[in-house]
Amino acid sequence: MASMFENPPGNSAAWILALDDALRAAVGERELVYLIETPILLEAPLSPPYCRQVLVWNENLLPAMDLAAYLRPGKPVRRAQTLAGVFAYQAEPDALPAYGALLLAGIPERTRVADDHACPLPKQLAGWRTLAISCFRRGDDPIPVLDLPHLFTGGLLATV
Amino acid sequence: MNGRTPTRLNALWETRIFTLLTLDGRRWLLPQTEVQALEALPDIDPEVRAPQSVGAITFAGEWWPVYCLSGELRLLPQIPAGRWVCPLLNNGADRFSLICDQVETLVEPSRLHPVPACMAPPDSPIQALVLLDRGLGCVTTTESVARLIATSGMSGDGLDV
Repeated sequence: MASMFENPPGNSAAWILALDDALRAAVGERELVYLIETPILLEAPLSPPYCRQVLVWNENLLPAMDLAAYLRPGKPVRRAQTLAGVFAYQAEPDALPAYGALLLAGIPERTRVADDHACPLPKQLAGWRTLAISCFRRGDDPIPVLDLPHLFTGGLLATV
Repeated sequence: MNGRTPTRLNALWETRIFTLLTLDGRRWLLPQTEVQALEALPDIDPEVRAPQSVGAITFAGEWWPVYCLSGELRLLPQIPAGRWVCPLLNNGADRFSLICDQVETLVEPSRLHPVPACMAPPDSPIQALVLLDRGLGCVTTTESVARLIATSGMSGDGLDV
């Protein structure tokens, strides 16, 4: 985890994301670049059920991914409000940053993570194995760390 | 037939005039050069059928199979209410018609956007996305639609007259 968050070894910063009213995941501190409180989302046909919409941001169209829908396919997603986070990722190590959006149920929460917080992925939802590259524990809760390049470069298309 | 190849995308990027087809409220754009003519619902002969077509139109001495697609480009066995206009699509290799709610000409739309990699596999008929006044439009080609129809179980050969 330390290398992902680009912070001093042993103690990193991360954002904890509310994917819906219950599911939580995390990204590195520098991966979240913008938060939109009332996103305007446009529906795109022939797209997977967890990524049916695009978001207009800085004159670009970003995929707006609903990871709660991916983790619980076929079940309605419960979010009291829907925000969109814009995230930066690199498709390859030396590539320019690319951007994608995740639908969120609330404002991300900043946290610090120590190496000894590492833990196994939650067992309840099998989809975490595809979404996450690692996991840490906050209190009693395991918080999977999202693999954003995998998500936004089509890594989920083969899994549905 | 290899989906969003760079060559095809570059050609679409240089397209200045598109024909905008409305299907169940969804908007699909094709290069206007691939639309040979417009016909109307009464011109369809329902007795002349290619597999999974809803009939055929005669134009320039030939039968053009007419297909009915949903807004998500799924073949429909019957024509929904509101469909009336039939653009005749021809790219030199594929020749058929789709029955649409509406057909418009779109001159120099706002810039085309690549389809995000996580939203569609490489063989998706959507070649690009474009922002329209009333939402999102999907850019496709006659070849892509023909491939989609063919892979939906059609042989595409011959008509039962």
